Amino acid sequence: MSLRLVRIDDRLIHGQVVAGWLRALGAERIVIVDDASARDEFLREVLTLAAPQGVPVEVAGVADGAARLIALAGTPESVMVLARNPRTVLALRVAGVPIEVVDLGGMGSGPGRRRLHKTISVSPDELRELRELEQLGTRVEIQIVADDRPIPFGSVDPRN
Amino acid sequence: MRSFRIVVAGHGTLPAALLATAELICGEIPDLAAVGLEPTETPDHYAESLRAAIGRDHRRVLVLCDLLGGTPFNVASAIARRSPRVVCIAGVNLPMLVEASLATTPLDDELIEQLLDVGRAGIAETERHRARRVS
Repeated sequence: MSLRLVRIDDRLIHGQVVAGWLRALGAERIVIVDDASARDEFLREVLTLAAPQGVPVEVAGVADGAARLIALAGTPESVMVLARNPRTVLALRVAGVPIEVVDLGGMGSGPGRRRLHKTISVSPDELRELRELEQLGTRVEIQIVADDRPIPFGSVDPRN
Repeated sequence: MRSFRIVVAGHGTLPAALLATAELICGEIPDLAAVGLEPTETPDHYAESLRAAIGRDHRRVLVLCDLLGGTPFNVASAIARRSPRVVCIAGVNLPMLVEASLATTPLDDELIEQLLDVGRAGIAETERHRARRVS
């Protein structure tokens, strides 16, 4: 299992990721799955610039990303996967990507969004998608930085 | 007199502290601003603050960022890729900021290389530094 971490973070690559997670995981590659970024050459370039030297960054849409991650999951390479929202991770899971755990790392607040924990807020749709991920056997946890103890989604899900 | 503006961009209070510390060394530094990213601030909101500090005139601006791949750098590098008058460097340290503050030449390739060199040269471990100095 080489998909070391599948993280939902609406900032994708940023300080907590490059200075904390990459080191903690020993990740050798970052795969960003985001349809909007994959379509936009400028966004792709900015994301590539954000990674430290020696860590390749791939930016893919959901369809290409699923195929790529299924292939990478069978290699020994340590891969960190970043997605902006639960919908993307759910689509990857449904497409057959083996995702044991998904980490909620950064989901901003806003109108209609409910705060679950610190910097993790969800819309009603996202809440449903996270529950669906758990039903499919993917564990959902909140862990903002690598040093944090993971908090099970079930313990902050407002219906529980 | 320096021809370009400098903006220090980074996480939390680091930019303001770095600016204050550079002024401790150089005296008051004109045309220098600090823009810190607050823990709960969104990248879009930070981009607004950074654009305001960069200014909307035609002067060249050097943005010195604390961390390659951090949000301040990501936002600044996106601005720099779209705006050729803006130059963005990651990994700022005090020697680099002092050198940039005291620069009198235009913000050209030569100065950018010089700033990168000064920043790297300012990183040393005592024993290794001593071995190089006395050999």
